[in-house]
Amino acid sequence: MPPIIQIQNLTKKFGNLAAVDHLDLEIEEGEIFGLLGPNGAGKTTAILMLATVIKPTEGTALVGGFDIRKSPDKVRGLLGIAFQEPKMLWVATPWDVVNWHAKVCGLSTEERKRRVKQVLETVDMWEPRHKNVHALSGGMRKRVEMAKVLIQRPKIAIVDEPTTQIDVVGKHKIWNMLLELRDEGSTIILATNELYEADRLSDRVGIMHRGKLLVCDTPKTLKDSILGGDIIDIQLEKDASPTIVEELKSFKEVVDIMQVKPTNLRLYLNRVEEVVPQIMNLLMKKNVPVNSIRMSEPSLDDVFAHYTGLTIEEAQKDEG
Amino acid sequence: MSAILHIIEYDVRNFFRYKWWLVGLISMNLADLFIMAIVYNQMLSSDVMKEIGSYFNFFAPGLAVTGLFASAFMIGREVNMERRREVHHYMLSLPMTRMELAIGRVLSGGMRGMIYMSPLLLTCFIFLRFPTIWQLLVILAVLFLLAMGISGLSIAIAVSTSSLEKFITARGLVYYTLFFCSSVFYPLSLIEGLGKDGKFPMVLVTLAEVNPLSGASDMIRSFLLVGYPPFSYASILNVVVFSAVFTFSAAFAYIKIIERK
Repeated sequence: MPPIIQIQNLTKKFGNLAAVDHLDLEIEEGEIFGLLGPNGAGKTTAILMLATVIKPTEGTALVGGFDIRKSPDKVRGLLGIAFQEPKMLWVATPWDVVNWHAKVCGLSTEERKRRVKQVLETVDMWEPRHKNVHALSGGMRKRVEMAKVLIQRPKIAIVDEPTTQIDVVGKHKIWNMLLELRDEGSTIILATNELYEADRLSDRVGIMHRGKLLVCDTPKTLKDSILGGDIIDIQLEKDASPTIVEELKSFKEVVDIMQVKPTNLRLYLNRVEEVVPQIMNLLMKKNVPVNSIRMSEPSLDDVFAHYTGLTIEEAQKDEG
Repeated sequence: MSAILHIIEYDVRNFFRYKWWLVGLISMNLADLFIMAIVYNQMLSSDVMKEIGSYFNFFAPGLAVTGLFASAFMIGREVNMERRREVHHYMLSLPMTRMELAIGRVLSGGMRGMIYMSPLLLTCFIFLRFPTIWQLLVILAVLFLLAMGISGLSIAIAVSTSSLEKFITARGLVYYTLFFCSSVFYPLSLIEGLGKDGKFPMVLVTLAEVNPLSGASDMIRSFLLVGYPPFSYASILNVVVFSAVFTFSAAFAYIKIIERK
């Protein structure tokens, strides 16, 4: 079966700035595809082009077999989007927003009556359904935005940072909704800068930085692709000197060292059980007191850092 | 077609969320009519008064057109605000064609103008006289076309201006040019006379003559005021041309400009 989305050389320039730079990507039907990157990486611009909201400067994409340039009306018929910033009618209630959206998407009156209630209850917005949107918190507005996609049940759902401003309980609810939507047959593009979210939900992840797609695969393959299967985070009492960093690098098991903060070192290494005592001995011999030491497996954060040389927070600041 | 109806519903419902504000505005418009009539009846020269009879009777149809203009123009402010707040991304992502979206916005702007104007037009009927059915149909058809043209003009300006300040400035220029050079507030013969005497630039006299606001005001007067000169059918043509030009300009601008960013 051909991929449901085939992006070919997709580019969007604003003046001299390439917000999306020659993007090539294929998304399979029925998968949750995580588009991961810091703010300003080009995720939203790529999504807006796929949704035919803005026109590409170069390249194109086939969505469900329809070219976004040649058949934008047909493409829009397949898509549903939950935007990063809730796009509400500027004076309305959650009930109005969801009901009108359902109407535009062609739901019959009977089905609409039933589904609006059902979906608003799912996102915990039934109680405040007649409140003015201005009176809603950021999290509540975000849930109304999600409700639009849930009621539409589109063939391809695009959700742009669905859980920002949402508390932990709310996050879990939205994640479950996305998984259910996928199980009902929708293909989902999840644009996010939350690594845990991408890791937990996505069948495959594409990492974007400065408009380019750096790497794309399953979260497991990406994590396994980092040299050094283990990670230790060492917090020192004082700033780590360049000499001590060099000495740590001299261990043959240590693949890479990242100085997260002046006092915090992250070591990517192999055979952690054997090498940690040696590292501790070295630090004690050099009179470098250790506050804490923590072992972990690589996360997508490490994958991002591996490919960009930056943590996602640093990349965010960089884009800012 | 159903997509156009949904867009009209969206805009008309938004309009009615301001219902108390609209009631206040209409009340103020009616108060203006009575106050201006009392003041201007005393101020205007006997020549002008001989021509128009009573300023109340003369101005009431003009006021209906003014109300139509102001309310049909409001859609532009909303489109401009949607663009700045990026709500247009949502509108553009909906499963409908760009043409349906654009035509829906223009039509709803026109309908909002007609709704707002209704009590002002009814006031004309009550205080001047009720038109025949045919006259009423002609009045409503011409005013709806005018409202569509105004709505289209405001949308075209709204999508071409990047900030609210620029939109308001452009709106002010359009308002004052179209109202100043029209027969909404004073008879066309007065402007033509001033033009012949060299006291008014001829280009503005010509603008007043072809202005669709003049055409619409004078058409209502000719139906409702006894002894008022019959309106020329060319003035209806002006309204049709105005409506066609700006409806399509708005649709074109909405489709082309709004997708750029």
